[in-house]
Amino acid sequence: MDISGIRLSGACYAPAGKAVLSDISLTLDEPRIGIVGRNGSGKTTLLRLMAGLVRPTAGIVRVGGLDPAADRKAMLGRIGILFQNPDHQIIFPTVEEELAFGLRQQGRAEAEARALARDLLARQGRAHWAGAAVQTLSQGQRQWLCLMAVLAMDPATILLDEPFAALDLPSAARLARRLDGLPQQVVIVSHDPRVLERMDRVLWLEGGRLVADGPAAQVLRAFRAEMDRLGEADADTDLAG
Amino acid sequence: MERTVTHVALFAALIAVLGLVPKIDLMAGVPITAQSLGIMLCGTVLGARRGALAVLLFLLLVAVGLPLLAGGRGGLGVFVGPSAGFLIGFPVAAFVAGLVVERWRVPVGPAAFAGAVLGGIVVLYAFGIPGMALVLGKTLPEAALLATPFLAGDLIKAGLAAVITAGLANVRPGALLSRN
Amino acid sequence: MLTLTSPVETRAHRVPAGLKLAGLAVATTGLVQMHGAAVGGVLAGVVVLYLALGPAFARHGLAMLRPLWPFLLVLALWHGWTGDWARGAEIAGKMLAAVALANLVTMTTRLDDLIAVVERLARPLARLGLDPRVMAVAIALALRFTPVLFWRTGQLMEAWRARSARRPGWRVVLPAVLLALDDADHVAEALRARGGL
Ligand SMILES: Nc1ncnc2c1ncn2[C@@H]1O[C@H](COP(=O)(O)OP(=O)(O)O)[C@@H](O)[C@H]1O
Ligand SMILES: [Mg+2]
Repeated sequence: MDISGIRLSGACYAPAGKAVLSDISLTLDEPRIGIVGRNGSGKTTLLRLMAGLVRPTAGIVRVGGLDPAADRKAMLGRIGILFQNPDHQIIFPTVEEELAFGLRQQGRAEAEARALARDLLARQGRAHWAGAAVQTLSQGQRQWLCLMAVLAMDPATILLDEPFAALDLPSAARLARRLDGLPQQVVIVSHDPRVLERMDRVLWLEGGRLVADGPAAQVLRAFRAEMDRLGEADADTDLAG
Repeated sequence: MERTVTHVALFAALIAVLGLVPKIDLMAGVPITAQSLGIMLCGTVLGARRGALAVLLFLLLVAVGLPLLAGGRGGLGVFVGPSAGFLIGFPVAAFVAGLVVERWRVPVGPAAFAGAVLGGIVVLYAFGIPGMALVLGKTLPEAALLATPFLAGDLIKAGLAAVITAGLANVRPGALLSRN
Repeated sequence: MLTLTSPVETRAHRVPAGLKLAGLAVATTGLVQMHGAAVGGVLAGVVVLYLALGPAFARHGLAMLRPLWPFLLVLALWHGWTGDWARGAEIAGKMLAAVALANLVTMTTRLDDLIAVVERLARPLARLGLDPRVMAVAIALALRFTPVLFWRTGQLMEAWRARSARRPGWRVVLPAVLLALDDADHVAEALRARGGL
């Protein structure tokens, strides 16, 4: 399997002096990786850094040896990212246009991209979705569309930001099954340890720092214990920043 | 590049929304459309160039048949009707409003008010009144007389555009592209 | 999104969009130069054209002229006062005919076809630096986000009403502007995640 090899060394992200991520050094080669942490711990920022959507303010980020923030065209086939909110990701008013866009970006002609998009829908038993307006889709369907749009570009690694957070139970089960079957390297971010139990490796972020890194069972046990301890204590009075 | 395009597109959508949202009453009980407030804000928030492009994109959507003008109007008919001059003046109004905020380095509030008055009223009426005169077969002073009832509402909107732009500069200083 | 294209499918729907637009340009230019009875003739012709496309279609066409009534009222009062009824009727007739003809094109042409014409007309602008592909993305984005922003502004107003007896009024405009600005940033990032423009 083609593993993209995501490498960070001493990566920091501190826009306007506020440290969001501090000194992250990692090499990600396992096929299934989870990132766990509380709200505001920096999980989304870490994904954006890996996808090259932001540059580290210090340190280095490399994907397959390339700088993902500089070499955008090369990243199209290397990294796909699924945003937490599908409404921030879907660009076009109809399903077919949304799917075709990424293919156009990879250099295919308009007609070919459209045909491939329709073909993709047909193979998933959703040929009738082609002309549908995206705002008529449910939350789970919109997320499915985002995932399809990413998969259509066939990246080696897929980054998913809280993919289960807004789904009802059947949609979540369907998504989990879909992800299990993917040949790609998958990195999933979640504040909920339950969805990361079957990962090959789990990272735990706290306050923008990596506090644990290891097999899922071990890291998640420690994470749960800490969350239980915090839950006992009184409210959340700290202000960030 | 991407941010320019998305700002232009989202503000075109914003102008439409401000015309469609039912009953934003600007003064108690008087449902004035907030659409021309949207035109002013395009200029004062996005700046001259992007603001004018956002308005042009909005007009393009209206022209191809979307009912996005206040009251659900749209299509090609509105560009030959009595208000056509105002529509043609919209992008110029946003441009001038933006130019004032960009160039006149006084605090955002006063600059936005001056821009909104100059662009959203002086320039807009300079296009709208001849349009009305032409379609309704009146002289310019006669057409100007017909437009005066709207002046009070538009002055209120210029004031609101100033308050909103200054508020934005306050809560999100980086977001005011006309000053960055 | 809802468009003003008539759902009543007529023969005129099948005429190419470019042809209809060219015809409209010629007709409007001609109309501006007409006087007296000729204007009445054109107006009658327009009415016949609408009726020929079916009664339901004609009713819909009439409804689209409703926003003109304040102007008709102004003309009636004005020319009633000056006593120059003939002139008033000519002006009103021209206005109604011009708007009705333009509406006819709008009502019988699909959004996609009109956008295709716009893109074709904009092609020469590529030399001035306006990339037609960028323009297509901008149009698509505006089409996509108008309903999204509309819905969320509605939610803001609802959240307001849930905690206030008074109507939100102009105070929702600032949060709506913030929504637009934030969406613009998110979508710019989504575009960059897929290779940018
Ligand atoms: N560009 C930025 N400027 C300032 N603060 C930021 C920026 N990006 C993220 N943050 C802050 O960093 C913290 C971590 O954010 P995020 O990565 O979204 O966390 P998570 O996804 O784990 O909830 C949050 O407090 C957020 O407000
Ligand atoms: Mg997050």
